[in-house]
Amino acid sequence: MTYYQQEIERITREFYPEEAACRQVRQAKAFIDTHYADPIRLNDLAAQAHYSTYHFLRLFKFLYGTTPHQYLTRVRLKKAKDLLAEGFTTTQVCQAVGFESSSGFKALFRKDTGRTPQAYRMARAVASGRK
Amino acid sequence: MLFLAATKEVTDMQIKLVSVLVQDQDKALDFYTRILGFVKKTEIPMGAHKWLTVVAKEDPDGAEVVLEPMAFEPARVYQKALYEAGIPITAFQVDHLQQEYERLQALGVSFSMPPTPMGAVTLTVLDDTCGNHLQLYQL
Repeated sequence: MTYYQQEIERITREFYPEEAACRQVRQAKAFIDTHYADPIRLNDLAAQAHYSTYHFLRLFKFLYGTTPHQYLTRVRLKKAKDLLAEGFTTTQVCQAVGFESSSGFKALFRKDTGRTPQAYRMARAVASGRK
Repeated sequence: MLFLAATKEVTDMQIKLVSVLVQDQDKALDFYTRILGFVKKTEIPMGAHKWLTVVAKEDPDGAEVVLEPMAFEPARVYQKALYEAGIPITAFQVDHLQQEYERLQALGVSFSMPPTPMGAVTLTVLDDTCGNHLQLYQL
């Protein structure tokens, strides 16, 4: 076994929660990655992982450095950018990525990119030579 | 305004290259393309060596891996020390680690660390046949 592998195993043992718990959290993160367009509630994620909401939240934040809700928002915004670049309208995109309110979506989008979804879409269209 | 200027300087910097020291550039190009599945982006002759880069097939405008010659002697010492400790010189992200591990094993790639979970990630380490260990990780 290499020095590197020994170190990886030592760090995992000393600093991380037990593997079964980590696996549950990785599964929850994978669930967000594939089901971001659906309404996802923290309680449901925690229940699926068989944890109390509080414990689940803490574990998720420990492993990913962000809360499940923040992570979900990040995934949705990333997907929204892709769809806007493909030419979908703000309303279509907002619904497609799972945001519940259009004003909420616009505000989050603006905070993230510094532009409105509409302005972002136009800029990407210009950049790609599409109208 | 000073703040804006400072911000701009920071955002102008982009990460587009990652260096990998290799013992033989031609052998490396073969391994990184035919085995790992990258594609060649640039090959510029420079005397005994060349500026040689590969990119991910799906992201040709993304970061390039520079397959760097080791004309500088201390580089060999550095590479050897990393290799002997099993420390990867760099790491590449994959979506399906287990699948990739099996695919590469079938191609005869040797691994110094099987897929190993570590908190949020799963890691594996392989031998690039050019003097390095490379890590693959799945988030």
